[in-house]
Amino acid sequence: MASTRLPAKRVGPSVAAPRLARPKSLFRPTSLFVAGSLTPIVGLFLLFSILPILASIVLALFRYSAIDPSPPFIGLANFVNLFHDPLFLKSLGNTFEFVLLAVPINILVALPIALGLHSLRLRWLRDGLRALYFLPTAAPIVAAAVIWAYLYEPTGGLMNMALSHLGVGRVVWLGAEKTAMPSIIAMSLWQDIGYNIVIFLAGLEVIPAVFYEAAAIDGANRWQQFRHVTLPLLSRTSAFILVMTMISYLQVFAQVQIMTNGGPHDTTRVLGLFIYDNAFRYTRMGYASAASVVLLVLTMVMTLVQLWLLKRSTSWEY
Amino acid sequence: MAKSGSRVWSWASAGVLLVGGLLMLMPFIWMILSSFKTPAEIIHTPPTFWPSDPSLIAYKTVLTRAPFFTWFANSLLVAVVTTFLTLLTSGLAGYIFAKFEFRGKRFLFVLILLTLMVPFQVVMIPTYLIVAKMGLINTLWALIIPSAVSAFGIYLCKQFIEGIPTDLLEAARIDGASETRIFFSIVAPLIRPALGALGIFQFMWSWNNYLWPLIAVNEQAKMTVPLALSYFNTSQHGARYDLVMAATALIVIPVIIVFLIFQRQFIKGLTLTGMKG
Repeated sequence: MASTRLPAKRVGPSVAAPRLARPKSLFRPTSLFVAGSLTPIVGLFLLFSILPILASIVLALFRYSAIDPSPPFIGLANFVNLFHDPLFLKSLGNTFEFVLLAVPINILVALPIALGLHSLRLRWLRDGLRALYFLPTAAPIVAAAVIWAYLYEPTGGLMNMALSHLGVGRVVWLGAEKTAMPSIIAMSLWQDIGYNIVIFLAGLEVIPAVFYEAAAIDGANRWQQFRHVTLPLLSRTSAFILVMTMISYLQVFAQVQIMTNGGPHDTTRVLGLFIYDNAFRYTRMGYASAASVVLLVLTMVMTLVQLWLLKRSTSWEY
Repeated sequence: MAKSGSRVWSWASAGVLLVGGLLMLMPFIWMILSSFKTPAEIIHTPPTFWPSDPSLIAYKTVLTRAPFFTWFANSLLVAVVTTFLTLLTSGLAGYIFAKFEFRGKRFLFVLILLTLMVPFQVVMIPTYLIVAKMGLINTLWALIIPSAVSAFGIYLCKQFIEGIPTDLLEAARIDGASETRIFFSIVAPLIRPALGALGIFQFMWSWNNYLWPLIAVNEQAKMTVPLALSYFNTSQHGARYDLVMAATALIVIPVIIVFLIFQRQFIKGLTLTGMKG
């Protein structure tokens, strides 16, 4: 699906085109159109995308609560306090725990499923199963969180019901420190894995069949074909999925807030929740902004590092 | 070329995938079954799987006790308007970035792309303050306007429009067509697949959005569906899961139906992100 680029890109009226008998007024409609359409769009973009990013960084330097008429400038005090705040450090740790567990599991489960779906001969079966795996992703995450909260209910939930049939005792999934985070990870994977399955599937479908045929002729078995044809040609898609999943999981919020709200004993308090609570429950907006700046830096650093690492190993174009 | 060994493999993997699919479906099945249980059965211990006396009483209670239709209407209005605005701004901006030159164009486009990496938590506090200053907190506009411009949409449309031969547009100009005419009558129809995918994507994103409505709205009458469900869930204090599951079912089933209808466009939209990336 590569976009066809024309050999010579036409430039707009600002560049000297052959000055034919073009009346000057004909230039105005084009620039008017550009200015007229772009101004409101760029205006909205600046107001709701760029300005908030800058404002966040500035806000982090103040002690800002919504009721204070003149918030005092406190420099880097928020940041210093953050890194001495055990709750913040715990939030960081929990976020890392979530990301470092959920991202690899997500990818390691999504890829085989996508491979399996890809190898199905019957189109209706493949599309039907693909839809099935994607269903949890199509629903609002709040719905998923609420359903799983009930699933995990110690007395009435499906999980413990299944366990009791297997003779195992009841588990307090969301209420016990050891099981809370894994429970949330399990739910997140269920809700989320559809995305990566679909994108992997698309990446697999673009690999030309000739490569597999050539490999088979050379005597490669299924595993070898996977290692030497599929994996390298999937590297671009895999890189994209890795970065996107990581960015998404760094910001995890909804399911944590709804299922455990950080508990028990802050074992599931993640950065997203920390920022939200500080900003909108304790109205410590400067402090929360500082935490969000940390999240921003974290996201950018991890993204750039990954892209750099992957660039060195990704060289397959076709 | 299918040897008997690979045939067994195909059947085995299809079987595993089916079982996996069933596991994916299980929470939804549980939701539906629970929604048909009577209030007595839902608190009964030991818990049952199938409803022993299926009834619609939970649905009736939810629909009469909660302003469901308001929530649905809110979500629908916000999603439709946001999607329309996003398609318009993405198409226009994508067209301009693809086919016109002006000073600072490259810088601006890179800036737009960079914002894709920024987590929402980073912008949510200032966005709240800006919207509050505009006096729009607790209105549906608060949910629409900040989302009217989509960096992803602009990127997608630009990619697609670059594939349109510029000569086509030049010919139209020479024929005397106005720029707006060119955009709406020539460019827009040519990028219909992208617009379709983007539209579905944006609609579902807007429908499912939770964090921003959570911040911007706290009046029950102005809530959108995900926010309302969360409040409803909390209000039941973990006791009446029949009601909560009924409410969830009412919310999940329409979305799933919409998804199944527009499956192709939605998945195409998703893969467009992965392929062009």
